[in-house]
Formats: sequence, C-alpha cells, structure tokens
Amino acid sequence: MSSDIILIIVIGTALAFDFTNGFHDTANVVATSISTGAARPQVAIGFAALLNFVGAFISISVAATVAKDVVDAEVITPTIVFAGLIGAIAWNLITWYFGLPSSSSHALIGGVVGSAVAAVGFDAVIAEGLVGKVLIPAVVAPVLAFLVAGLAIGISYRVVGRQRPGIVTRGYRYGQILSGGLLALAHGTNDAQKTMGIITLALIANGTLAAESDPPFWVIASAATAIALGTYSGGWRIIKTTGTRIIKMDAAQGFSAQGAGAAVILASTHFGFPLSTTHVINGGVMGSGAAKRLSAVRWGVAGNIFVAWLLTLPAAAAIGGLTYGFTRIFGTGALGPILVTLMALSLIAVAFARRARGGAPVEATGA
Amino acid sequence: MIATIVHTDELLQTIAASVVAGLGVTFLFSLAIWGAGQFVELSRGERPVAATAALVVGGFALAGVAAAIVIGILVMTSK
Repeated sequence: MSSDIILIIVIGTALAFDFTNGFHDTANVVATSISTGAARPQVAIGFAALLNFVGAFISISVAATVAKDVVDAEVITPTIVFAGLIGAIAWNLITWYFGLPSSSSHALIGGVVGSAVAAVGFDAVIAEGLVGKVLIPAVVAPVLAFLVAGLAIGISYRVVGRQRPGIVTRGYRYGQILSGGLLALAHGTNDAQKTMGIITLALIANGTLAAESDPPFWVIASAATAIALGTYSGGWRIIKTTGTRIIKMDAAQGFSAQGAGAAVILASTHFGFPLSTTHVINGGVMGSGAAKRLSAVRWGVAGNIFVAWLLTLPAAAAIGGLTYGFTRIFGTGALGPILVTLMALSLIAVAFARRARGGAPVEATGA
Repeated sequence: MIATIVHTDELLQTIAASVVAGLGVTFLFSLAIWGAGQFVELSRGERPVAATAALVVGGFALAGVAAAIVIGILVMTSK
C-alpha cells in the first residue's frame, strides 16, 4: 500500500516536472519568433504546444532516460527519483522566478545525482557519464551554437543585403515559423521522453511493469499532455529574457539563431552527443547579436544566464539531496514524500500568485 | 582518458554537421528570399527572363530547405 502511494506521488511529480519543462524550456524555442513578430505570442505558444505534443509520440526510446548514464541504476528507488524530481522542479521554478533560461535536463540530472548521493553515497555516481554526457556538452552547446549563428547571420546579411527590407523581414519571419516548429518538435521528442522514462522506471521498480517494458500508452499520452500544457501556459518571463533582453533582434537574427539551434540539436541527436536545447538557443541568440556588433549583446544579462547554468547541477543536486534527507526523517514509507509534496505545492502556489501577474505577453521588437 | 570520456569522434562529427547544416540551411533560405526579392525587382523593371531565372534559383533553394527539414524530422523519428 505504501509503495503504491509513493508510486502515485512519483508519477504526479514526474508529470509536474514535465509541465515545468514545457513552460520553462519551450519558452526559449518560441522567444525569438515572438520578439521579431514572426508570430503572435498566443499563436506561437499554441503552435509550440501542439508540436511538443506531437513530438512526444514520435519516438519512445526510453533508453534515453536521462539519469541512467550518470547514476547507478541498481541503487535507484522511487523515493530517490521523487527527491530528484523535487530538486529539478524547484530549480526550474527558481530560475523561472528570476526569468533565467536554464536547462531542465541538467536540473533533473542534478536532482537525481544529489538524491542518489544522499541515499547511497558518491559510489552511486558514474563520473565518466557525468563528465562526458553532461559537463562537456554543457560547454560545447552554447559555444557551437554561438559560432554557427554568428556565421549564419553574416551569410544572411551578405546574401540579402541589397534587397528591400520589407520582403527580407517577411521572408525571415516565415522562416522562423519553420525553424521554430522544428525546434518545438525536437524538444517534445527529447524532453517528454525523460518523463516517460522516469514513470516507466518507477512502474518497473514497483513491480507494476515487467523489466525492459516499453512505456504504456497512458504514460506516453500523459507525458505528452503535461509538456504541451506546460508549453501552452507560456513561460513569459523567460521568453522576455531570451527574446528581448539578451539582444534586440531583427527577423534575420531570429532565423539565424533558430536555424543554427535546430541544426546543432539535430546533428547532436543524430551522432548521439547530448546537448541542451536551452544552452543551444541562448548561445545562438548571443551569436547572432555579437556577429552584428559585440556591444549589441547585453553581457550583464548573458552573465546572469551563465551563472544560472553553472549553478543548475549543484543547486538541483543540493535540493534533491536535502529533500531525500527530509523524507527519510519520516522513515521509508509514504509520509515523507506526502509532506514534501504538500510543502512544494504550497510554495508553488505562493510563487505563482506573486509572479504570474508580472508575466505579460511579450511585444514584438524586431524590424 | 579524456578522449574516452568525451567521445571525440561524436563531438567532432556533431560540430562538423552542425556547421554544415546550420550554414547551409541559412544560405539556402537567404537565397530563396534573394530570389523572391530579385523576381519582384526585375519584374517591375520589365526583365521577365532574368526575373524568371531569379525565381527558379529561389525555388531550388527553397526546395533545399524543405529537404533539410524532412531530413531533420527523419533524424528525430529514427532515434
């Protein structure tokens, strides 16, 4: 009975993480389209939500489960997963509160690593996986997107430089709808799977599913729905940061940032090198601004984003570890997770009440 | 040791493919816009042959972009 309650809590928490992933990370995907006027805010968000939903059904390769390469799967229990998810959700909400785009995947990895270390010790961590699959890509992703977007905007301006501004702006705005759509689809495919994988692992650990089982349809559908609803709710604070606060972008820069982002993400997907969507898009936005003029990038805002990226893994790990420790005060039963869930829901309600009114849709600034 | 952890081959392939795809798609899409812009300009200047040629160039470029999008979706579905 107790394990069934923990399982239900883990599933609910995983779907809550998926929801925060939707409004947190997809904000990056649609931010440039909205800020250049390529699409109206609600249309861009609705389109991205739909493509996130569709993307979740494209592939169900649960082997892509986010934590399996960085922590020893043998030691994972539903309570460790629960504490890790709380760490990830908490960090997503903290960065959303301050309007900082950070990686939900890194938050999830950090949370699970922290809770696993708190439960078992550092032996639970696969250092090779953590460095090779998380830390190195975290450095490579923004630098690569920065360079590709910077070169791309140079090509764009050179090719269309003598054309009338009207047709150029309209053309790149149409292009942004395509590149933004591709990014949203890729995001749905990658990130909804993480939630599916975690719920499936919890079902297997509980004995509800046989080992090596594929996720049942209701898991796929609920993960797709949660990420799409999160996307549709709109992470306006992060959209403002990525779309208007890093650089004031025109349509060509928006297209270059999104096109470079889509190319980098799909190339990394093809060659099995995991990169963060958030890092890629924001690196692309900075690259398309810096290539035009270095001073066009508001480096203070970019610095805050870098700090958030550096803090994501340790902060989510600390919260995950503390959460695990707190739940164990009440033993191994369901009481600890129930209390943490109630406390988390109360904090989330307060945070939303204080900040939701400050997150109005973003106006287009691009020419 | 570092090479084992980082998977240098995957990293270099990712960088190369990202640069080629990112710059290639941007160039093709920009060429499509150039073609459309030139078509309008040349049509106004009553140069139908040159206008048609610009439109054809733009059309091929747009077809290249469409092909890249299809490849992108195939990459996602074949994961």
